Amino acid sequence: MTLPGNIDFDNLKPEEFEHILPDLFASGNGKVSQDPRLKKFLAANPDCAALVTDLETIAETARSLFEPVAEPSDRVWQNIQAQLQEDSALASIDDDYIDPDAPVD
Amino acid sequence: MSCQGLMMTQASPGRVNPGLYKRNPPIAGEAEAIQAAQKGDPEAFAILYNLHKRRVYTLCLRMLGNVSEAEDMTQNAFLHLFRKLGSFRGESAFSTWLHRLTVNLVLMQLRKKGLSLVSLEETVNPSDDDAPRRDFGSRDPVLAGSVDRVALERAVAALPPGYRTVFVLHDVEGFEHNEIATMLDCSTGNSKSQLHKARLRLRELLRNPSQPPQPSAYTESAK
Repeated sequence: MTLPGNIDFDNLKPEEFEHILPDLFASGNGKVSQDPRLKKFLAANPDCAALVTDLETIAETARSLFEPVAEPSDRVWQNIQAQLQEDSALASIDDDYIDPDAPVD
Repeated sequence: MSCQGLMMTQASPGRVNPGLYKRNPPIAGEAEAIQAAQKGDPEAFAILYNLHKRRVYTLCLRMLGNVSEAEDMTQNAFLHLFRKLGSFRGESAFSTWLHRLTVNLVLMQLRKKGLSLVSLEETVNPSDDDAPRRDFGSRDPVLAGSVDRVALERAVAALPPGYRTVFVLHDVEGFEHNEIATMLDCSTGNSKSQLHKARLRLRELLRNPSQPPQPSAYTESAK
């Protein structure tokens, strides 16, 4: 799905706008409300303008969710430590392994 | 045609996402801890865990929507990390590498659970039951200008898994559509479409907060 090159932005209909909206958001900086090609259309279609504003607000607020909000319980680190120790013990067994079929000096 | 082929790829330090790197600046003491951990220093493992546990766990919680599963996945991600740490060459931010590793593990888990993350069919033949209502009308001033962070968090948790995955990967984690398409083994157009529908659904949820929450919303596992 890419933005068709032959869109008549000056005579855009709401249905056409709805169809191309995902690509409009994906192109450029995602600021559909500031796209000069849509200035006339959004001014004439306040419901579409409200939709754009809302979706931009959701996307902007989502970026603030990147900062972590939760912390795992202590159990997680305890399990990791136990597993790493087990790995380490297994590795040392491998190091000490003597092949019973190997020739004896 | 469905889009089921999630790839469990290794984190690829060579592919740097500049956007994500900007959001993952180097952390003081991290480079030294990585070097020491690569030599097997257990204290260095603890340092790396403490530096990154919250971000990894939050990512798992958002994508899985379940505390118990998120903890198991966090454990799994760090075990993978410590076992594969020798292959980290520092060509990208360590946290970017860790995030990609975690995302791949989570996607694999979701696929194991039989969740259809992305359907190619729905872009051609959208389901009336699944797709958000196309609602240009009834303007509501609630969202104009600001959305409460907590309310958005709650709404994201209530999204269907497919929408939530793409929304979290793109809008929260900062992955590009082409990266998401690779991770989900689908087209970039499908990723864009899913993201758009996720945002539309979130708009509905935020405008009508009285809607009953979905059972997946950060619940304790019933196992």
